[in-house]
Amino acid sequence: MADKGGKGSAFPGGNDLGSLKGKSAAALKESHVEIELSDSDGEGFIETPLPSSKGKSSAEAKSGKKRVSFSSLKTSGDLGKSSNVGKAGGKGSLPQATPLEPLIAETQLKLELELPKGARLLMDCEAAEVLQDIHEHMTVLSQDPKIKMPESFSKAFQYSKVNDHYNNAKAVRQPFSIGPLTQVSRTLKLNAVTDGEICLMGNVCPENVDEVYALIPSLKGNIEKNEVALKDAIASLAKFRTPK
Amino acid sequence: MFFHITLERNMQLHPRHFGPHLRDKLVAKLMKDVEGTCSGRHGFVVAITGVEDIGKGLIREGTGFVTFPVKYQAVVFRPFKGEILEAVVTMVNKMGFFAEAGPVQIFVSNHLIPDDMEFQSGDMPNYTTSDGSVKIQKDSEVRLKIIGTRVDATEIFCIGTIKDDFLGVINDPGVTA
Repeated sequence: MADKGGKGSAFPGGNDLGSLKGKSAAALKESHVEIELSDSDGEGFIETPLPSSKGKSSAEAKSGKKRVSFSSLKTSGDLGKSSNVGKAGGKGSLPQATPLEPLIAETQLKLELELPKGARLLMDCEAAEVLQDIHEHMTVLSQDPKIKMPESFSKAFQYSKVNDHYNNAKAVRQPFSIGPLTQVSRTLKLNAVTDGEICLMGNVCPENVDEVYALIPSLKGNIEKNEVALKDAIASLAKFRTPK
Repeated sequence: MFFHITLERNMQLHPRHFGPHLRDKLVAKLMKDVEGTCSGRHGFVVAITGVEDIGKGLIREGTGFVTFPVKYQAVVFRPFKGEILEAVVTMVNKMGFFAEAGPVQIFVSNHLIPDDMEFQSGDMPNYTTSDGSVKIQKDSEVRLKIIGTRVDATEIFCIGTIKDDFLGVINDPGVTA
């Protein structure tokens, strides 16, 4: 990413050190506007998450393929410049207030692709049930009181409990497709709503279709087909929702 | 997101554990070795839910240890790009804030916090809107979207955003207090 960072946008005036460095480095060869857009060294702070997508992002930027990822949010290329994402985020610094929407709207959920073979997604409410069982039977399972559950178990268990918005996890499954197919789930399946998207909907517990489309933009591609089915699913979910 | 998956592992067992409780010993060792670990491919192995199969043991020459191939099922937690998570803020600074969703750490840069939220330093650093109606500080609950992940051998780090519709603070401890 460091190589891309030279051209890239990303980090605003908020980071004083970054902008100073950016200026000094770029001032020698580029115009004033370019200086502001470029920010070669300021991104040290979140530079680290990038390496994994380095190859991809540069390749895609070149090929003009607009796949949005974190890298495209902060890297250069035509994407970065045209959208001004980095700058837009900057508190009170330069250019236009930003079109982050186009980028995010293009974000696709790649859940299924990244899942290992044979994996079955669980909604948070289902995970909460499974982990609750394990928590209760912990000593029986291990048959050794010395064995304690690791910290990540407690954290994940706590997380799943907090995010369990429903009073009946098994019922929550039904409007969706992960369990036995019901009418609604069949419609969702037919309209190419993936398990990942369904699970995410279950976790988010949306109140209306607008919320679903905003949070899961990949569903927008099939809006004519899936809107009715999604409305039904949301209505079914609302029945099981625990009042906050 | 949580998922359920079948995994395999070769377990080495010392001969002193052999006997009628060999299976229990193997399972106990498996739990100890695997639960709480994190791999880039699968994420955090939260808990083992069952052991599907234990294959025939193979004596390792020279040591006496026996290797058993064990097939087991586990609940795994892994964040994905594009996923929406509800996380608890753990630290706020001028660069952004860190939040925790289960075992996963997420950083939200100040570029990915809405423009109308300004950083306020002090005893309890926070991001606040100009009218003071929304505040992000330690222990606030936020709904965020994962836009990037970095995986290494034992940890997963995420970058998130709250700069979009339907994202942001869900529960502000400052308001309820």
